[in-house]
Amino acid sequence: MTQTPSDSGTLTDPSARSTEFVPVTGGGETTSAAALLITAYVVMWALLLGFVLMSWRRQGRVETRISELEKALSTSGPQGKARD
Amino acid sequence: MKSQTDQLFYGLLAVTAAVFTYLISYVFLVAPIAQLQAGGLAQKIFYFHVPAAYAMYLCGTVCCVSSALYLANPTDTRDAIARSAAECAVVFGFMMLCSGPLWAKKAWGVYWTWDPRLTTTLLSVLVYVSVVVLRAFAGNGEAERKFASALGVLGTVNLPIIHYSVLKWGGNHPTVIGKGGGGLKSPAMTHALLMGFVAMTLLATILLWARARLALSVSRVARLEEQAIATGQLDY
Repeated sequence: MTQTPSDSGTLTDPSARSTEFVPVTGGGETTSAAALLITAYVVMWALLLGFVLMSWRRQGRVETRISELEKALSTSGPQGKARD
Repeated sequence: MKSQTDQLFYGLLAVTAAVFTYLISYVFLVAPIAQLQAGGLAQKIFYFHVPAAYAMYLCGTVCCVSSALYLANPTDTRDAIARSAAECAVVFGFMMLCSGPLWAKKAWGVYWTWDPRLTTTLLSVLVYVSVVVLRAFAGNGEAERKFASALGVLGTVNLPIIHYSVLKWGGNHPTVIGKGGGGLKSPAMTHALLMGFVAMTLLATILLWARARLALSVSRVARLEEQAIATGQLDY
């Protein structure tokens, strides 16, 4: 008797395993295009949002540091500027 | 009160958000599904994948020009633009490298092949990654900046090779637009792709702007710290 996964939940009978592979035509879809499409969009937006968030937080930290340094230097001469 | 530059930045951000909203809804609701050989529904990845590749080329070109200008006459602004362009090229490069294999799984049955275009693209992204890593971990000295600039120029030399690799060496990668391509057979597909290019151009501009501003602020911190050390306000 052939045991299928639906009978017992798991395939436990060694005699039920596949012993040959037979090609089929018009078989069902193995990879869902919708799942791939959604994954691609989610991954792209996650990358982008991560980059934006990282930049935003870093900008905040750098501006705080600039304020601290300007405050410290305000009593001791001209402030540093980027070379343009 | 916000400065005029800030107002322009936020205005551009609002326009970009509107264009992306329109693009996503158009791609999912209006653009037709392509033939199964092209990935069927997964072909809709194309409307972001190709513009992301174009945005990487754009950022790579900006990186190359700024790096060359920096090598000729070093300034903080040129260095900041070159550095931010390399960072943006990495982001767009990864967007392309993540979306492409997901389409390939449906169209080709595998995520990756060592096709000439895929290989040259990976190489180019890795060059920009090396520029970013170098600037992040090797310090902010003149020598490091110059070395990163030289790498930025070198990375862009590879970009035309990516573009012409399909024509020169063949491979699996589709050639739909441009020389040798059959084109998009629906006006809705063409419209979606054009909107993708507009959206990615706006996004690349915004990201470059924001990152260049950040890089300039970092340079300013370095100069202020040098001054603070010289005046004894900060310990070395």
